[in-house]
Amino acid sequence: MSERKMILGNVWNLPNEVSEVRGKDPGTYLQFNTHMVTFYQQTYGELSRFFLGLRDGRLIGSQCTNCKQVMVPAATWHCPECNFAEMHEIDLPHRGVLAGTAPITIFPSASFIGQAPFCRGYVDVATDAKVASFLPARLRTTTGLPRPGIFVKGVELKLVFEDNRIGRITDIFFVPMSEVPAALRDKEPLLASALNFETPPMPEVERTAAAKTSLGEALSAVRKLAEKIPRSPRAQKDLSGQTHAIGVRTGGGDFTLHVAASKIRVEDGLTPKADFTLVAADPSVFTRWVADGSLTDAAVEGSLWLPHKEAFGVLPILDRLPRSVRRDVK
Amino acid sequence: MNRVAIVGAGITDCRSRWVEATYWDLFQQATRSCLEDAKMNASEVDSVVYGIYNDIFEHQAIPESSLTGIIGMACKPGTRVTSGGATGFYAMRTAIMEVASGMSECVLCIGGEKATDCYDPQSKTATPMVIDTIAKSWDPFFEYPLGATASDSYMQMCMGYNDTYPGDIDDTVVRARIIEMLCRQGNKNPFGQRRDETVTVEQVLASRWIIAPFLRLLEACMYTEGAAGVIFASEKKAREIEERTGVPPIWIKGVGAANESYQTGRGGSYKPLSSIVSDRVAAERAYAMAGVRPSDIQLVELHDAFIAQFMITMGEMGFVPLGKTRKLVDDGIMADIRELGDDKAPKKGQLLLNPSGGLIFGGHFVGGSNMFSMWSARREMLRRQIPLALIHGTGAINAVFGGAIVVEMEDGGAR
Repeated sequence: MSERKMILGNVWNLPNEVSEVRGKDPGTYLQFNTHMVTFYQQTYGELSRFFLGLRDGRLIGSQCTNCKQVMVPAATWHCPECNFAEMHEIDLPHRGVLAGTAPITIFPSASFIGQAPFCRGYVDVATDAKVASFLPARLRTTTGLPRPGIFVKGVELKLVFEDNRIGRITDIFFVPMSEVPAALRDKEPLLASALNFETPPMPEVERTAAAKTSLGEALSAVRKLAEKIPRSPRAQKDLSGQTHAIGVRTGGGDFTLHVAASKIRVEDGLTPKADFTLVAADPSVFTRWVADGSLTDAAVEGSLWLPHKEAFGVLPILDRLPRSVRRDVK
Repeated sequence: MNRVAIVGAGITDCRSRWVEATYWDLFQQATRSCLEDAKMNASEVDSVVYGIYNDIFEHQAIPESSLTGIIGMACKPGTRVTSGGATGFYAMRTAIMEVASGMSECVLCIGGEKATDCYDPQSKTATPMVIDTIAKSWDPFFEYPLGATASDSYMQMCMGYNDTYPGDIDDTVVRARIIEMLCRQGNKNPFGQRRDETVTVEQVLASRWIIAPFLRLLEACMYTEGAAGVIFASEKKAREIEERTGVPPIWIKGVGAANESYQTGRGGSYKPLSSIVSDRVAAERAYAMAGVRPSDIQLVELHDAFIAQFMITMGEMGFVPLGKTRKLVDDGIMADIRELGDDKAPKKGQLLLNPSGGLIFGGHFVGGSNMFSMWSARREMLRRQIPLALIHGTGAINAVFGGAIVVEMEDGGAR
């Protein structure tokens, strides 16, 4: 029997201890480990209909019998605009338009660590109604990780249902309609398993002479960094326990970054054994990284393409290296 | 409605963490500071209003109960106000109403926060748990499970504004220049959390992205532990205190508040994504009550969660046109503290904006941040003789809570 997924993992705990902490004043003060957690079996009450709908592969809203405004999700069944007139259940289309350019979360709260980067936005679903609420939803792309330029105001979206639905808002998400094969665009409900999120297509890069020169500079900078790492205890600590073969495709050519035994090594070309491949049309992304810049920032800005969250998780480790080396190696 | 005066104000040192003090002591420090400022005893205070944002931060469900005696307010009426980021504003509104109604002669309005005792065992740092606690401000049904955070929600408003008004808040250099100016002002705040820091345009532009393209690390407000208070009094009591202190009262001229709908949407009463309606309506109400226009006001202490929102709020409150809020910098509307020194008022057409350093450089202890702003506004009015000031508060997800208070010097100031 498979183990049930629990609300809190083991990591959400602390030893029962009192520890000393230095004050600014100065002086020694004490702090005690403790918690403020409660558990809930929280009723969905009047919202249950909406979540029952999700489980059935339906998106429902409430529509006022008087003013015809639509609320989605159906947050109430009595219209606040019409002296709480009755609202009726309506089925809504499984498509919508992004109501505002959506933020991409890079640094999530404690409960969502491991999910970043992710995108959340407001979707205009009841587009036929004159007055309507927006549906808050997760936004996903089949082309790798979310990056600026995908989830912008006005982009047409397709509602997708998770195959296994339990009655949570995360049972549904939206993808850009342009990423949905034409034959599936009118399918209701469209299940996540019908789309390919596992192997996103690597973006094409145009090879240019300028980028080739730029790659030469970048590789030279990265190799210099690599040479200094064995002399930097901080950098070695950053890399301890890390083993990766990271392919990099750029407009100037390809290389592979091997991370192992607390060192990094640069190899020309892509190795077939790469764990994953990053793509940057402009290789200077890596020159800037070595000059105390940030690969995470490049990913956030969209100048570095990543296939998945695991790749994103490696970037903060690499980002620490230039600073560590600078502090240890004169 | 009776006239209401500010007769005293006080704050604690703003720190990223106070291991030397619990919130009991922080509230007591701020209370003592207020009473010393007004040359009063605790026994003269008729009632107290507490601004405490969040039970989880304080780690007690009725946090005001355990500090009542410690701050000398035993056996007096006490009301706790909690309204998200706008807690301080709403606490002051409550205290003002209590004096305006004649119910009390003298009310202590005190707010503070102990935020960074929160701890995330996964990252072994405070921040992700602080963010998670604030993220509980979202509903548990639809929004919280999506991973919504306070930063993202304010950024959603900024991005929505930018969809409508491109070419304004999206200029990173303009935003960085405002940061640099706020930093210089924060350096002059003797209680400010980042008073010893120097942040330049170049540093802002090189700092890490929190949310592209509107929020770099050096553009965001802080988490602060601290407390601040303001003493509100009737005209009669204010005259009595003025005799003792020799400091003229500052008068409440207008108070405006507006909370938008939680649900975003198109038309009706839904919260639009492209504007912060709460700020606009709150400010308009405060101006109407005070009988002033934005152009009459030259000192603003506004709740700057992030610089892009700071710019939008200045537009919503009518100081600069929406879509052209960058005029604050481009047209030199934001006064340069290097020119004003410690005692000059801004020139005609200029504004002294967040002289405390705001929430980005001064401090942001949520329940008391707006009292911190009021403390600063009063201080600057008195020493620079600026006749009118506006104090702004914002809060809750998507900036749906807004508040504004217009205050005036006695006789419009000496100049």
